[in-house]
Amino acid sequence: MFHSRLRAAALLAGMLGAMVLAQAPARAAPAPNPEADRLAFQAYFRKNYPAVKNSDWGNGPYALNAGMRKQWEAIMQFPPYEFALAAGEKEFNRKFANGRSYADCFPNKGIGIRQNYPYFDTKTGEVVTLGIAINRCRVANGEKPLGYKKGLLAAIETYMAHTSRGKPFDIKVPNDPRALAAYEAGKKFFYSRRGQLNFSCASCHVQKAGHRLRGDILAPALGIMAAFPIYRSKWGEMGTIQWRFVGCNKQVRSVPFKPQSKIYRDLEYFLSYMSNGVPITGPGARP
Amino acid sequence: MSSAAVRRGTLALTVAMMLAPAMAAAATKTDAEAAIAAARKAEAAAGVLQNQWLPTEAALKMAAKALAAGKYDAAVATAKRAHALAELSIQQAREQDKLWHNEVVR
Repeated sequence: MFHSRLRAAALLAGMLGAMVLAQAPARAAPAPNPEADRLAFQAYFRKNYPAVKNSDWGNGPYALNAGMRKQWEAIMQFPPYEFALAAGEKEFNRKFANGRSYADCFPNKGIGIRQNYPYFDTKTGEVVTLGIAINRCRVANGEKPLGYKKGLLAAIETYMAHTSRGKPFDIKVPNDPRALAAYEAGKKFFYSRRGQLNFSCASCHVQKAGHRLRGDILAPALGIMAAFPIYRSKWGEMGTIQWRFVGCNKQVRSVPFKPQSKIYRDLEYFLSYMSNGVPITGPGARP
Repeated sequence: MSSAAVRRGTLALTVAMMLAPAMAAAATKTDAEAAIAAARKAEAAAGVLQNQWLPTEAALKMAAKALAAGKYDAAVATAKRAHALAELSIQQAREQDKLWHNEVVR
């Protein structure tokens, strides 16, 4: 048994090695140009799926598959994220021990601003996601930080996304070498093959968007951020995009990074920028 | 050749075949520790490149478990597998450092 597994592993490893070696020679790296990237990215999806309206890209696989859409529409008669939405609203409006609240930490009192996250903080030189901003608000007001994958933080994000529905993503990449480096790092991660299965994010969510992977329809990368946080049936609860990144990496047999690690924040920054112009649909529901 | 000689030869060959794998796979504790250390070093290098694989981690754990249980042959074999996987992940990371541009939507 052990030796047969070893042989199978060696065979797989050999095949992978051949696959890695057999790829095309590398292209030269062009200078960073986020807006040119975004236009090309969106044109790719709009050309391949001309029937999908701009407002529908945030609905992921339901925009591309009529059967799944019918199931989703039935599920949305009683949206599974409603308990989290109520819990998130309650927490968002709670006063901290010092008398302040989340609203005091955000522009426009935190209402209708989800589409502006992540942003690049030119003071600290790093990408700030909504999850990071929520925890910074808590810590600044004497509260303990929350976990980044699910639970109360996901509930707060649920409420904040809900107040932002319909507002198009408006992510900025300032003309700052550090911001461009963060954007490029996210882009590189998105397009780099990794894990024993030798998949990149783009392998599924660009090249095979709308195709089946076993029982699932692969979501298009365009608009993929707009629905988060999501109630995922597999999880049985609300979860953040950072949790999904962890899951995606595991699925290709790659050791995942910590939620809100620099590389995942950069990835979220790149992906969100690619969806500029796509309206927020979150909180969402997925299989 | 007589039938008795054939029988004796067959018996000798059978015994030799039965013993050969055991003799060839007689790894020591030192062998197992060295194989695991080499695999861990390669996996650490993959970590520097931000490209570790789950099966490598799993194989390393299995190797350590086999070592602790005194199963040195299994520990060496599993550590070698972990080492091979770690080397592949390093190769993947180095190649993707250049090849990722090929996948960019233009």
